Parts: sequence; C-alpha cells; structure tokens
Amino acid sequence: MSAGHPHMQDFEGHVEAVAADYEYFRRKRIEPRVLLYLRRGIIGWSDLFTGHEQAGPPSPVETSGDLEARIRALEDSLDEMVRAIGTVTAGIRLANHDVPIDDNRRERGDYNPEFRLASRTYEGDLESRIAQLETAIAETRHLIDAFTRALVERGEVTEAALEENRKRLSSIGYRNGARIVARAWVDPDFKRRLIETGREAVRELDIPPGRLGKLGVAENTEDIHNIVVCTLCSCYPHDLLGDPPWWYRTDEYKQRIISDPRKMIEEMFGWRVPPERRIVVHDSTSDVRWMVLPRRPEGTEHLSEEELADLVTPESLVGAMEIPPP
Amino acid sequence: MSTVRFAVGDRVRVKEECPGGNPRTPPYARGRIGTVIAYHGTIENPLDHRDVYPPLYSVEFTLGDVGGAEPAATVVADIHDEWLEPAPAENEGGETRGS
Repeated sequence: MSAGHPHMQDFEGHVEAVAADYEYFRRKRIEPRVLLYLRRGIIGWSDLFTGHEQAGPPSPVETSGDLEARIRALEDSLDEMVRAIGTVTAGIRLANHDVPIDDNRRERGDYNPEFRLASRTYEGDLESRIAQLETAIAETRHLIDAFTRALVERGEVTEAALEENRKRLSSIGYRNGARIVARAWVDPDFKRRLIETGREAVRELDIPPGRLGKLGVAENTEDIHNIVVCTLCSCYPHDLLGDPPWWYRTDEYKQRIISDPRKMIEEMFGWRVPPERRIVVHDSTSDVRWMVLPRRPEGTEHLSEEELADLVTPESLVGAMEIPPP
Repeated sequence: MSTVRFAVGDRVRVKEECPGGNPRTPPYARGRIGTVIAYHGTIENPLDHRDVYPPLYSVEFTLGDVGGAEPAATVVADIHDEWLEPAPAENEGGETRGS
C-alpha cells in the first residue's frame, strides 16, 4: 500500500483503503469480466461450477494474531487477489475470442450506470470489518480460481501462458518509472526522446515498453505542476509502470481533481503546490496513457543514477506529490 | 479520415454527443471549448478497443470552463477527431481562430 496518504498512518485508514480497493477490483475487474464471458458464451455456468468443485472450498482465513498482523495479512491477500486477476485478464489473449479492454468497460457500466454492479459497504467495529473483508477476499479469490480453471478447461488459455503472464506482471512495477525518471534527470537527450517518442525511448533502458497505445510524458517545471487522472475509468500506463496507487482508482480522486486539484492535493496528500505554480491535469483516455516526469529535488547533484531512482515514489509518477530532497 | 483538421493553437468545440462514435470523451468536456495543444495521429491500440479510432488531439480547457474552482488551472483531455468541431467565432473581440 502507498505511503504518503495521510490516512495510511492508522489502522482505520488501512482498512478503509483495503475496502475501497477490494470493491474496485471486485466490481470493475473480475465480476464484470466473468459476466461478460458468460454473456459471450466463452464460458458457461457449468464450467464455473466444475471449477468451483475442483478448486475446493475457499481457504480458511487465518484470524489469529494482533490487529496489525491481521491488517497486514489482509493487505497481502488483496495484493495476491489483484495479481490473480491480472494473471488471467491483463494482456491475455484468448484462443478463440477477441475481448479488448473496452468491452469490459462497457460491461461494468463505465458508459452506462445501469450496468454498474452494486457496491457493498463494510460496517461495524474495526475487527468486524476486517473479518468481513477477510471472507470477501477469500470468496473472490475462489471465484477467480474457478474462472481461471473454466478458461483452461475450455482451451481458451493454457497453464503455461498464465504462468508466463504472472511472471511478466511481477517484473513490472513503479520501479520502471523510477529508472526512466532518473535517466531523464541525468541525460537531457534521453529526456527529449522520452517526451517525443514515449515508449520507444524506454527500450534504451531494457524496459519492455508495453503495447497499450501511446505513452504521454508530462514534465514538471518551476512553473507547471502536472498531475494525471483517468476520469472515465482508471487508465494508466500499467503495462509499463505497474498498477498505480490505490487512490488513483477512487471516485473521490477522479472527481476532486477536476473541481479543485490544488485543494485535493493538499487535503489528500498533504502537499501544498506552490501558489505561483500552474496546475495542469492530464486526463488519460486510453489511447495516450500519461506519466509525470517529476522535478529533480535539490541537493542531489552528487547522486548516481541508481541513487536518484531510489528517490522516486509512485505518488510522484502520478503528480500527486513532489519528491522531497534526500 | 486522413486529413489533419486542426492545428496546434486552434480553438475547438467538443460535441455534446457523438452517435456511433467512440465513448472515450469525458462528460465534463462535452459541449466545451478548448485549445488544441498536441496532435497524436492515429493510434492503433487493439488490446484496448476493437476499431481504430480517428486521429487524436490533446485539447486543453481552463478549469473554470469545465466547472472547476481554479480559473488558472487547466485540464488536458485527449479527444478523437470525430468528437471535435471548429469553435464558433467569438462575438466580442472578433477572434476567429480555429474557425
């Protein structure tokens, strides 16, 4: 989970973040995908029932340990659930059907609220909410397993392709963005190529450039602060930089960034954008996916490229925060 | 559609709706006037959507024009050609850019 968000200092904040992100992945990434495949006849209900039997009952949830350990385990199980969804959906091509990302956006109601799946709320005291989320994540994990088995049984994907995809996804993360930024700081020619050619330039760093349209790079300066959002869904160059921090997917972020970005940044991230700096919001609409090139902090002249990369945070790649001097 | 209809600096208006067009234009931008700040060409993105969408422009709107609180801030949305039309000439000041 991300640092820097003021909520992240306390248990409540952690559990709130897990609930919000779990609901996002359940309602947007996996359940609509299952419904879409059923709708198209790519899988049938009986495949899911068979997959359910093969997978066995959901694994029992470990409920011992203190609150902090349970919250940490909860976050780990959410991360693992997100990885399992990615493995069977992100960049996977089915043998007999073409299902581009936008089909899933329609299915989940991005363009028509009538299709949106009902959201759940998690109420009660902290421990009770933790228990509800533990169960919910285990159940969704079970659905993902049954869904994955159904696709394998139908010959739409192979175990080998899934394993390869899991490996590919685990090698992608914001660290790629950190390396890109550090290179751009030390090499002005690379920076120019990066801004002009996007994905082409990152090949120079032996980073797989990804294939989801064009990469836009917005450079922060003394006068302009750029920040990225996707108001329509949650587009991000995730095939290059990994998933963005959880708050990027929240409605709160998407709405407040258009109404008052300066206030939103201050209240959600605790950073006051210098008043003389103009704010430019970049709304990704899928064909160009944007990242921010943050400013190099002062007092870093003596640092190596690798040390510079260590300073870069996931928040700074979106433009939600600046990178503080070391 | 191979002709480039707008140049950087042109004022454009986003259509209120675009029947048969792609759905990737944010609601807040619809019906609003902005300025073209970049041309991206035609982007093939088969993993994302089935058809190849028309050429893409980055269009910058002042936040005040799309219901935001800070007039000096701007939002840049990437909008496909089919959603755009030249902005009507402004009555005051005789400004006709982009028409």
